[in-house]
Amino acid sequence: MDRHRLRRLMSALRSGIRGIRATPLIFALSVSSMAAGLLLLGTYLLVVQNMRAVIERFGHELRVVAFLKPSVRPEPASLDALRVRFEALDGVSRVRFVSKGQALENLRADLGREASILEGLERNPLPASFEIELASESRSPGAVGALAARIAESEEIDEVRYGEDWVQGYARILRAVVWLGAGLGAFLMLLLGTIVAGTVRLALYARTDEIQIQRLVGAGGLFVRLPFYLEGALQGAVAAAVALAVLYGLFQLGLPIVGDLLAFMLGRSAPAFFGAGEIALLFVMGVGLGLGGAVLSLLRLEEAP
Amino acid sequence: MIQMYHVEMRYPGETYGLRDVSVSIKRGEFVFLTGPSGAGKTTLLRLLFGAEHPSMGQIVVAGRNVSRLSSASIPELRRQIGVIFQDFKLLSERTVFENVGITLEIAGLPRRELRARTWSMLRRLGLGHRLDHRPRTLSGGEQQRVAIARALVNDPPLLLADEPTGNLDPDLALDIMDIIADAHARGTTVIVATHDPGLLERYPHRRIVLDNGRLVMDRRPDAFPTPAPQVVWPVS
Repeated sequence: MDRHRLRRLMSALRSGIRGIRATPLIFALSVSSMAAGLLLLGTYLLVVQNMRAVIERFGHELRVVAFLKPSVRPEPASLDALRVRFEALDGVSRVRFVSKGQALENLRADLGREASILEGLERNPLPASFEIELASESRSPGAVGALAARIAESEEIDEVRYGEDWVQGYARILRAVVWLGAGLGAFLMLLLGTIVAGTVRLALYARTDEIQIQRLVGAGGLFVRLPFYLEGALQGAVAAAVALAVLYGLFQLGLPIVGDLLAFMLGRSAPAFFGAGEIALLFVMGVGLGLGGAVLSLLRLEEAP
Repeated sequence: MIQMYHVEMRYPGETYGLRDVSVSIKRGEFVFLTGPSGAGKTTLLRLLFGAEHPSMGQIVVAGRNVSRLSSASIPELRRQIGVIFQDFKLLSERTVFENVGITLEIAGLPRRELRARTWSMLRRLGLGHRLDHRPRTLSGGEQQRVAIARALVNDPPLLLADEPTGNLDPDLALDIMDIIADAHARGTTVIVATHDPGLLERYPHRRIVLDNGRLVMDRRPDAFPTPAPQVVWPVS
């Protein structure tokens, strides 16, 4: 790029900043409406992110329990053969046998002070089982379901449990949220794009004289457009920063109020705010929206006169 | 400097801005473009700086065929042409200095050179004390001088002025014309569109007369009788 061109570019950027200072109300209007939209989008992304985290966390704790039929005799050789067969299945990381006696002990431990209710039992009603831990790639509702179905095919197995109702129900909710969010996101993007295009057009009208004079003295298309592109991108970046700040404030304020409910829903871990990646993504979305709106509104701006 | 060959400017509805106009203007000439209102003076000037494209014919300005110039090439042409309007076309939110400096800013001059040349031009036109003023605080004559400064600050080889004195009283009009004449004396080719007979009488330059879009007279100073002819156009 030659020096004249570079200087023209710098002049165009200065012109953009001057334009923003000349029409602060339009800039503020645009930023606040974009920030409101990005706040909605950010809220949705935050909810989805935390729901996904729950699924992932649950996946780590997810295990398949395969109960043996009462008719299966607990002989070491046959139990070993079954264990080896299950370990050979795709997605299985570890298999552990839990005998009838161990199962009763576990139940007694879980019941704690209420364990006395077990004292009246004449015989141990609990079946022996295999606890099957999953490899990380199989910790999704779909994969665990498929694995459970394969294990259930074994004739020694009476029943297979993996908290399927909860996992599938949660996955359904997450899917619905994602789809709803995709629709909401597309709608918001369209809305925000239109808002930016509208406000850039307002700025364009406010600066018609300036553009006319710039062209008269030899300003090229880029010199005229660049200030508006800059303004759009800056609007998007500021709006993203405002939306993130408000979202963070609401997150911090709201956490103590709904903390107990969230702890119940999300389990042991607390909900988390965005990481650097998601923050950068929201910024990029804001800048992209601002730029896109500016490009859209300048499409019909003729090169000459 | 300028060659126009059989130029026609037709607008929708079969109205004509110009009809079959052929004219040649040499480098360094001073030409009055005159005729009644609606004769096509402004259309001709707009064609010269690429604000419009002719429906037919060819226009060559400073070696460039304007009728075939792409939109992207027009800015380059305009950096070679200074344009002055009757309504000044100044940026009301910018200072006098900024209004003039914009030409050099767009030309991509370094800041230091921009400041020096802008200041020098404004001082030459007697506006050295008005640098930080906004146009609305200036008189009409001063505003037109700012517009002229903007047009001339880049030393363009061609200056086009569309009724530059139309909004000014006679004394100020002469003041403005003297500045334009000074630019001409420095070598700039000048075309002034006017229907002010007083100016035509005072400045004995070549006159191109348009009427209803047609070139009806092209008279050079040496062809003027003494004194120069009085021309009075009806103003609609």
